[in-house]
Amino acid sequence: MKRLLLLTACALSAFAVTAFSAERKISIGLVAKSQGNPVFQAARVGAEDAARELGKKHNVSISIDWRTPNEEDAQKQAEAIEQLVLAGAEGIAVSCSDANKITDAINSAVDNGVPVACFDSDAPNSKRFVIYGVDDFDCGKQVIDELAKVMGGKGIIAILAGNQNAPNLQRRVQGVKEGAKKYPGITIRDTYYHKETPQDAAAKVEQVMQSNPDINGWAMIGGWALFTDNALKWQPGTVSCVSVDALPVSLPYLRDGHVAVLLGQRSYEWGYRSVEHLINKIVLKKNPASVKDVSPLMKVTKENVDEYAKNWNKWLGKS
Amino acid sequence: MSTPAPAPTAASGSKWSSFFDLGSGRGLILVVLFLGVVLTIFSGTVRAPLFERAADGTRHRVFTVNAQGERTPAFTERNKFLNAQNLAQLAKDTSFIAIMAVGMAVVIISGGIDLSVGSIYALASVLGALVLHRYGPQGDAAAALGPGTAIFVGALVCIGAGALSGLFNGGLTVVLGVHPFIITLGAMAILRGIAFVTTKGQSVGNFPQLFRDIVRWEIGDGLSVVPLLVMLLVLIVGWIFLSRLAAGRRVYAIGGNEVAARFSGIRIERVKLGVYVISGLTAGIAALLSLGYYGAASSGDGQGYELNVIAAAVVGGASLTGGRGTALGVVLGALVIQMISSGILILGIDQNYSQIIIGSVVIAAVVLDNFNNWLARRRLTAKSS
Repeated sequence: MKRLLLLTACALSAFAVTAFSAERKISIGLVAKSQGNPVFQAARVGAEDAARELGKKHNVSISIDWRTPNEEDAQKQAEAIEQLVLAGAEGIAVSCSDANKITDAINSAVDNGVPVACFDSDAPNSKRFVIYGVDDFDCGKQVIDELAKVMGGKGIIAILAGNQNAPNLQRRVQGVKEGAKKYPGITIRDTYYHKETPQDAAAKVEQVMQSNPDINGWAMIGGWALFTDNALKWQPGTVSCVSVDALPVSLPYLRDGHVAVLLGQRSYEWGYRSVEHLINKIVLKKNPASVKDVSPLMKVTKENVDEYAKNWNKWLGKS
Repeated sequence: MSTPAPAPTAASGSKWSSFFDLGSGRGLILVVLFLGVVLTIFSGTVRAPLFERAADGTRHRVFTVNAQGERTPAFTERNKFLNAQNLAQLAKDTSFIAIMAVGMAVVIISGGIDLSVGSIYALASVLGALVLHRYGPQGDAAAALGPGTAIFVGALVCIGAGALSGLFNGGLTVVLGVHPFIITLGAMAILRGIAFVTTKGQSVGNFPQLFRDIVRWEIGDGLSVVPLLVMLLVLIVGWIFLSRLAAGRRVYAIGGNEVAARFSGIRIERVKLGVYVISGLTAGIAALLSLGYYGAASSGDGQGYELNVIAAAVVGGASLTGGRGTALGVVLGALVIQMISSGILILGIDQNYSQIIIGSVVIAAVVLDNFNNWLARRRLTAKSS
């Protein structure tokens, strides 16, 4: 009997040790705008790195549930948020394709006890507890400031603007136009929209230059055209260009002088910081100091391009 | 995937027998059941928060209170796939594509194609949204109409815009005598362009709350059933039209052999015009549901939906050469695609592979369908000899 009691006690202690040492499992949903855009793949790597590092730090097991539509589709994003709540996610990070359309899904998730963080593109009227990303209006102003500097404050420029429905891009266009008021010598010929694929963007630049050969500056509020390797057909130095986004594929344009400045968004950190904010809230019950966590743009020029390029090995999970 | 579906005859069996005699849907129902069983077995469990309903009907989280008086939220373990919330979600996510697929089935059965349904969906959405916004709480004519009238007008504009877009497609196809592939390809760009110019690329929201409450009406533990009910209604109307009405029989006749149909006295042009109106109408209905459920619209909505809708119709047994297909089949086709899409998420398969899997299913469905037809022909030949 004694032996039986001893064995039972041992078994119970072993069970207790196992139970208490078992890591808590936390699933975080990540809903970006589209699968095909490399910046969101970098965000995914950032989120997975954060999950690994913060998991070790807080002794929890964090997994990233990537639920991004193949192409931009706000309705699909809202469905993904609803499905994540049903699948037991404890937190969700989302970059909104259409804030109005996703607000209800975010609010419903929060009402179900699942905190939501936005990155890159906000849903300002929702119950999300934080937005991490650039200030889009300031981003547009920074693009025109850098371009005006390169062009000596005079010339005819075009704005390459991507998807006309994306609210964050609309804010950037507003920023460029507002910022251009400081430079009376600069004329904006027009804002050119296109499908957000590298080929469509490059084709748009080519078409615009053929019909407007007097344009001598490009303000690209997204780097789509530079994700192809032969988008800018002019001789380096004849047309000035400043672009948001600094992906590895865009960097040769800096090196060969086609582009003067790239303003890199911290796309890796979109994922990393979002997961960090969510884990702080879920595990440490800690809210961010401010709802807006603004990430500054990284200025990349011919001088620092090689140093900057090394970051991408980490951001794309190669090191 | 489905057996050949000759047009059901009005004389065969009782009034409802052909609906329950599943015909081409039988194989798909087996596929749905098979997928359901697989997902139930392999999905595992999920810890879901517990809710209760207060006397006023609002939902609240359930909390437990420990000895120290601390409140902690209560959870329950349930199967990841087989639970009421997930099934309601599955039905809701299926409904938008399934409703449009019923309209597309009518077009495909007639031997046509409508590539503009995604754009019709976008245009109907934004026009309906503009009306609902104008008479909504923040609109410039908020006080002009009562919420009921505002919703009626908004719904009329939304569904009417869909039907008119269909009329545009059908009219051009009939008058110009150009293949519908070309006409609807052009309409795809034109209609989306109109949606963009009308909204200047802005998202339009803030509709009357009553409208949102109707479409998001829930039963039980947070189950949104209105999209499901509308889908069932469209399915029943589609079934009655295709199998019980002479107008539906003419659609099969034209798709089966247009020349023979013309010589038998069918007014081909009128029927063709009608099928595109039906396709536009169903896109308008789906758009209206989307407005109520998601609460906003923009000109970028519904991009690529034409391919999802056509895929649902094809998986559901509609033949792209015309003359074959059923309303039930295409709704089941949409359900199968949505179940696979949800299954990828539920089973934790890397979502990067989702397009490959869904594309393969569409091809497999068509190959199986052809194989099934070949077997049926062989059986028929064997019987007659």
